Amino acid sequence: MATTAANKVRRRTTLTQRQGDTIFSLLLILPTILVTTIFILVPVVDSVIQSFLDYKMKNIISGNPGTWNNFENYIKLFTNSKLGPAILQTFIFCVIVVVAQFILGMALALVLNSNIKCARFFRSIMMTPWCVPTVISALIWMWIFQPQYGLMRYIVSVLTFGQVTDLAMLNSPSTALLGIAIAALWKQVPLSTLLLLAGLQNVPGEIQEAATMDGANARVCFFRITLPYMKSVIKVVLSMAIIENFKQFPLIWTMTGGGPNNSTTTLAVLSYREAFVSNNLGSGAAVTTVWMLLMIVVVVVYNKLMGDNETS
Amino acid sequence: MKSVKAAKRLSAFVRYFVLVVILLMLLFPLYWVVLTSFKTNMEAYAYPPTFIAENPTVQAYISLFTENAEFFVYYKNNLIVSGATAILTTLLAVLGGYVLSRFHYKWNSLVAAILYASQMFPVVSRMISLYGLMGKVHLLNTRTGLTLALLGAMVPFTTMLMSSFFDSIPRDIEEAAIIDGCTRPQVLSRVVLPLVKPGLLSVGIYSFLMTWDDYLHCATLIQSDELRTLSTGIALRYLGELSYDWSLVNTISVVAMLPMILLFFFFQKYMVKGLVAGAVKG
Repeated sequence: MATTAANKVRRRTTLTQRQGDTIFSLLLILPTILVTTIFILVPVVDSVIQSFLDYKMKNIISGNPGTWNNFENYIKLFTNSKLGPAILQTFIFCVIVVVAQFILGMALALVLNSNIKCARFFRSIMMTPWCVPTVISALIWMWIFQPQYGLMRYIVSVLTFGQVTDLAMLNSPSTALLGIAIAALWKQVPLSTLLLLAGLQNVPGEIQEAATMDGANARVCFFRITLPYMKSVIKVVLSMAIIENFKQFPLIWTMTGGGPNNSTTTLAVLSYREAFVSNNLGSGAAVTTVWMLLMIVVVVVYNKLMGDNETS
Repeated sequence: MKSVKAAKRLSAFVRYFVLVVILLMLLFPLYWVVLTSFKTNMEAYAYPPTFIAENPTVQAYISLFTENAEFFVYYKNNLIVSGATAILTTLLAVLGGYVLSRFHYKWNSLVAAILYASQMFPVVSRMISLYGLMGKVHLLNTRTGLTLALLGAMVPFTTMLMSSFFDSIPRDIEEAAIIDGCTRPQVLSRVVLPLVKPGLLSVGIYSFLMTWDDYLHCATLIQSDELRTLSTGIALRYLGELSYDWSLVNTISVVAMLPMILLFFFFQKYMVKGLVAGAVKG
């Protein structure tokens, strides 16, 4: 309607408004499309192709293309039982961090949303860990978990009344993944809290009041009114957390390098190690291909569970 | 009446308790790092640890500034790479985001779907291939190559974020400007852009913070030490070699995270708005 109005005014131009708009919008979006294609889509497709090739670092140096090797990359990964444990570690890590993050973030958001003193001040200072670069957050927690002089060893020995005096979080296969999960939570809880808080503030207060008048208690109020209203925010927060932790690399690599005894070797660590430490790019690509397939499965299942499209 | 009052007290107590516990978990580690950086090495290795520095010293800072020149080389590289990436990302996000928000052609929803999916691909899978591709065009081991690769990583999310900022600007303003004789480019640069300035800032700062955080791109695409950025440089140089000088490592942590924290607090208003806009629509 406005387009036709504008057309009348601008009849002198040879192009119609519509054609002009099409060209204009194509020109503007072209750089985005180019960059995304060159630096994301092409590399991702290329890496899937490489996963079927015998392709090593020496191929790049000598300029020889990789050669087809009958799924050998995949067969090797499955037979030497590297892949299975890595998939398991990835899922365990992801589930621990996502669930704990949601509970802690929701708890803090609910508190900050209630009429508490200095809520705005607390909201800003709680964001600090989010600004800390991942590698630095790894260093911070490595120092806290340091087996001889670390703060955590001391705290645990005090809390257990001297029962556990030799806690070495990152050096023992049974606790290393948990140690990394704590560091990941530390960095990620602030952002989830911020987003959940914004979602909470969108829940209309009148409805909650009306429900309270009708005799609903706080718990019913929370599960029947607040949560359904926040569904779209919760969906975004959870999917961000799932994607981030499914992909988590620098934190794990810096803190344990995948050890001890491969107990923290997730798919990210395995693929990096295969590709850039063992210099077997084809094998690394096979890991990332499996990883991407799993990612797709997770996203599809997640969308099914969360009841797709109700909000959009 | 009494029980109502007691219940209220209890709920207030629970709320403050939760607040204190979670805030302590979030903030105490930062205090601990700052504290350790001011301790002497002797005191840093004391067990049980001390919670206030007995002999506060700036020795670790002095030795960082005088003996560790390469740390500041990493710093400079990171500023160059993150700065360039942030500027380019914002530019592309504005152009692409405007189109996604304003024009509804069929291919626009395809582009949006691709941008959405792009965020999920693992970085390692891109790096395996980019390593070879960058080598072919001689961009391996250059800051330009690193910047371009990071630009690719940042563009999808920031474009979608920017488009949600454009969504919040009423269309009538633009239509009025067109009737007044503005061309489309003029509408964007003179009418719409001033209105989305908060969005520009939050996208720019967001991409700066995120690229400052990069480890994998630099670790794979850069080989020479003098071109490394902060995260990779720190991880490769100070862990292992000097892993026992914890007060130096803690000092490095403080110096490396401080600018990011200040940046966030300085632009907090825009950052919070931007982060929330990405997740909470309407």
